[in-house]
Amino acid sequence: MGKRILIVDDSESIREVVSFTLENAGHEVLKGVDGQDALKFLDGSKLDLIITDLHMPVMDGIEFIKNVRAKADYQFIPILFLTTESQTQKKMEAKDAGATGWIIKPFVPEKLLAAIEKVVR
Amino acid sequence: MEKFREKFIEEANDLINELEKVLLALENQPKNPDLIQQIFRVMHSLKGGSAMFGFTKMDKFTHHLESIYDLIRNSKLEINNDILNITLASVDHLRSLLQEKDDEDTKNKVQNDLLVAKIQEIINENVMAESNGKTIQPMEQRQNKEHATYYLNFKPHANIFNFGTNPLYLIDELCDLGQYKVFPRFDHLPGIDELDATKCFIYWDIFLATNQGINAISEVFIFADDQCDLKVQKISEFNLLDENTFIGIIEESVRSHKEIDLDQMMLLTHDLEKIYEKEKEPQAQTKSGGASADTSISSIRVSSQKLDDLINWVSELVTIQARLSLFAQENDSAELSAISEEVEKISRRLRDDVFGIRLIPIETMLTRFQRLVRELSQELDKEVVFKTEGTETELDKNIIEMLADPLMHIIRNSLDHGIESAEERKILGKPKKSIILLKAFYSGANVVIQISDDGRGIDPEKIKNYAIAKGLIGAEAELTKSEAFDLLFLPGFSTAQKVTKVSGRGVGMDVVKRKITEIRGEVEIDSEINKGTVLTIKLPLTLSIIDGLLVQMSDTKFIIPLSSVDKCYEFKHKVLENAINNLIRTDEKEVAFLNLRQMFQIEGTPPETEHVVVVQFGTAKIGLSVDTIIGQYQAVLKPLGRLYKKQNSVSGATILGDGTVALVLDTNKLISQYATNEIKIGG
Amino acid sequence: MDDTQIQNINNTNTFLSFQLGKELFALNVSKVLTILEMKPITKVPNSPEYLRGVINLRGNVLPVIDMRIKFGMSATEFTTNTCIIVLSVEIEGETIQLGILVDSVDSVIEIKDTEIEESPTIGTKYKVEFIQGMYHLEDGFIMLLNIDLIFSNDELMIAQEVETNASVSNSEK
Repeated sequence: MGKRILIVDDSESIREVVSFTLENAGHEVLKGVDGQDALKFLDGSKLDLIITDLHMPVMDGIEFIKNVRAKADYQFIPILFLTTESQTQKKMEAKDAGATGWIIKPFVPEKLLAAIEKVVR
Repeated sequence: MEKFREKFIEEANDLINELEKVLLALENQPKNPDLIQQIFRVMHSLKGGSAMFGFTKMDKFTHHLESIYDLIRNSKLEINNDILNITLASVDHLRSLLQEKDDEDTKNKVQNDLLVAKIQEIINENVMAESNGKTIQPMEQRQNKEHATYYLNFKPHANIFNFGTNPLYLIDELCDLGQYKVFPRFDHLPGIDELDATKCFIYWDIFLATNQGINAISEVFIFADDQCDLKVQKISEFNLLDENTFIGIIEESVRSHKEIDLDQMMLLTHDLEKIYEKEKEPQAQTKSGGASADTSISSIRVSSQKLDDLINWVSELVTIQARLSLFAQENDSAELSAISEEVEKISRRLRDDVFGIRLIPIETMLTRFQRLVRELSQELDKEVVFKTEGTETELDKNIIEMLADPLMHIIRNSLDHGIESAEERKILGKPKKSIILLKAFYSGANVVIQISDDGRGIDPEKIKNYAIAKGLIGAEAELTKSEAFDLLFLPGFSTAQKVTKVSGRGVGMDVVKRKITEIRGEVEIDSEINKGTVLTIKLPLTLSIIDGLLVQMSDTKFIIPLSSVDKCYEFKHKVLENAINNLIRTDEKEVAFLNLRQMFQIEGTPPETEHVVVVQFGTAKIGLSVDTIIGQYQAVLKPLGRLYKKQNSVSGATILGDGTVALVLDTNKLISQYATNEIKIGG
Repeated sequence: MDDTQIQNINNTNTFLSFQLGKELFALNVSKVLTILEMKPITKVPNSPEYLRGVINLRGNVLPVIDMRIKFGMSATEFTTNTCIIVLSVEIEGETIQLGILVDSVDSVIEIKDTEIEESPTIGTKYKVEFIQGMYHLEDGFIMLLNIDLIFSNDELMIAQEVETNASVSNSEK
C-alpha cells in the first residue's frame, strides 16, 4: 500500500530521482527544497515517512529534524536522512536531533526502497 | 534518468562555481573554518551527485581532492599556496569532466592523472612530515588496511520492537562490514507462559573481521544504542576468522552455554597473534583539531598584510567592474548601464579611499636622512643644515620603502660633491652654513620630491666633455642644458674627479634612476654653477592602479597612462603614411609621431582611419599612432615578470573585462628609446 | 583503484610527458601546476621569438614560452591538441610561474630512478646539461628534462649549434 512520504533536499536532481523512485513504487511524494520550506507540509496531515538531506542552505537537516520532533503530531514519524557524510559525528548529531536512520548517497533505487521498507511497515 | 542527469549537470556547474568562489575567499582567510566547511559541503554534494548520475571519474576525482581537505579539517595540514593552486586547477578540471562526452579526451586524462599525482604528493609530504613515526593514510588506503577481529555482545532490550527497530536488520548491516560468525543465544528465554511475542529475549554473540574500523561498527548501532546493551571489543589486529583453531575454540565455548569470557579470549588471541610474523599495520591516527583560540581585537591598528589584502580585493573589484561595464555596453539596457555607472563611481571612490589608507607621510623616513647629514657633515668637516618642507605629504608605503635608498644616495652625493668646503664657501662669499632642502608637494596625481643644495652646482659643459671623452656621446653632439644633465644618469657616468670615501661606497646615479623608474617615477637634475643643484623626483601616488587610455592595434590592446596623455586626434591612414619626417599638423602646430604598428612589428593592415594619441614627453609633445581608441580604463597593474625584464616600453599588464591581457605602455621609455634614431624632438 | 597508488615509494618519480614535433619529452610533475587549453596569447612587442606572449591565469599575468622554438624547431602552430603546461620553476633562487607551449600532452608516468638511463653525450640534438636522462619505451624513448636549468638563462637555446661556422662568419663584419 502506498505511503505518504516527504522528501527534503536542496539538490533538485536528487529530489527528482528519489521522488521518481518512490512514485514508481506506488508512494505519494511531497517535496521540500530545504528545512524551512518543508515545514509547510507539517500541518497535522498524515505522513508516513520523512527523508531529508543534511547539508542544506537556509535550514539544514539537523535543524529541520529538531523542528519536526517538536511537533506533537510528528513525534514518532520515522525520519531518514540522506548523506554522503560517512562520519559518525554527523550521524550522531542527526540521531540526537531525532532521526531514525540514514541512507548513504549514492544509492540505487532498490537500496532506497529497501531502506524505506525497514522503517515503514 | 537522462532527465535527472541534465539537471545534475546544471547543479554541478553551480556547485563548481561556488567552490571556486569559496577557494578565492580562502586564499585571504586560510584559517576560516566556515570556508573549509563550505568546501566540504560542496564537494560532498558533487561527490554524491556525480556518483548517483554516473559521473564516475568526477566521483573518484572529488574523492581524491576531499582527502586533502579532510587533513585540513582535522588540522593535520594547513592551507598553502600549493594546495590552493591544485584545488583551483581541480575546479577547472571538474568543469571539463562534467562536459566530457563518452569518448575519452587525452588532455583530460593527462590532467586527471597529473592532479591526482599532485594531490598524492601533498598527502605523502604530509605523511613524511609527521615526526612521531605514525603515518596518516589517505582515505582510500585507510580502508585497504588489514582486517582486525572484533567481538560483539549485543543484547537488545526486551521492548526494542516498540521503537520500530528490528535487531536482525542491525545484524544484517553489521555483517555487510566483513567476515562474521553470529551466535544467537537463547539462554535468557523465559518459560513458555511468560513468552511475549512483542518482546525480545534473544541476544547475540558476534565475531566480526573487518577492515572498516571500530567506528563503522558503532555506527550500525547508533540508532539502537539506548534500546540495547552492546559490548564491542577488538580482540586481534588480524583476521582470526580464517583460523580454524580459533573458530573451533569459540564454537566450543558457545556450545557450553557459557558467556564468553573476554579475558580468556584476549589471552587466547594473544597467543595466536604471536604465531603471525607479520608486522602490525600502523594505525590511522586520529587527533581532534583543537579549536582555535578566540582572540578579540581591541585596537584599530591594522597589519599591513590586511591592508595588502584589502587592496587586492579592491583591485579585483575594479577588474570585475570593468567586466560589468563591458557587459553593460554590449547589452543595450539603460537600466543596466545606469547600475554599471553607479558601481563604477562607487568602486572608484572605494579605490581611492582604500589606497588612501596605505598612504603614509614622507616624514616617517626623515630620521635616517637627518642622521646621515649629521654624521657625514662632521666627517667631511662641512657645516650643513638639513631642512625639510611639506613632509606631511603622503605616499604609498611601498613607494616610501623603495625610495629611501635612492634618496640616501642623492643626499650623500650632495654632501660629498655638491657642498663646498668651508674655505671655498668663504672665498665665494657664501654663508658659512650650507643648506640641503628636502621639499615634497602634490602635483596632480603625482607627488614631487625635490632635494636641493646651495653648493657649487654642476657645469653642463664639463659633463658634456666628460661624456665625449668617455665615448658616451659623439664629439659633435649638440645638447641642451637638461639633456646634458640627463647624461649624469647614464650607467658608468661619474663626475667625481677622485673617488672619495663617501661616494666610493655608494652607487652611481644610474642606479638611483633605475630604482626610481622601478616605482614608475621620473627624476631630473637642474643646476646652476655656484648657486646649487636641484634634483626633482616625480612619483605616482600608488603603484597598483593607473588610469589609462585603452587603445588597440590589430588584436592587441594597450593602455597608455592617462597622466601622460595630452590629446587625441583622428587621421586618415594615408595622411600618416605620407607624413614627411613623421610630422603631422594638429591644432596649427606640428607634432612628431611614432608609428606604433611599425615599432611593435604588429602584423595586419591598419584601418583606414587611425588615431594619434599625443603624449607629454618631458617638455615636448609626441604623437603615438594606434588603430583605435577604445576609451578610458582603470588598469590594475600586474608585473610582466622577470622573463620580460629586458622589455622597456611595456611597464606591465592588466587583465581586461573580457579576461584578455592588455599591455601597459611606458611612454617615456618608449619614446626615449626611439626618439634618437627616428625623429627629432621639437622643443 | 590503481590511480590512487601513485606514491613516492623509494626512488620513483612521476613525470608528465609531452610532445614537440615527433619527439617525446617529460618533466617531473612536482614542477607542473596544471595544464591549460590554448587561449589567446598577447604578444609583447619587441621580445624574443620564443617568448610567445602573456596570458591571464586567474587574474595574474603568465608568460608563455614556445618550447618548439627553445628546442630549435619551427614556431608552434596551434591545433586542437596544443596545450599550455603551467610550471613553477626556480631561476636564480627565485620561484616563478610560466607556461610552456607544447604540441600535445601525452601521459603521466611513473619512472623509477633505476629505469633512467644517461643520455648519450654525442649524437643528440640537445645539449646534454638540459637532459636529465632517457627513459626507454617499447618504440622509442622519452627525454627527461632538467627544467630549472632550461629557464635559468633566457638566451640559452637547448639545441646544439651544429653550424658553428655561421656565427663566426657573422662576427667578422
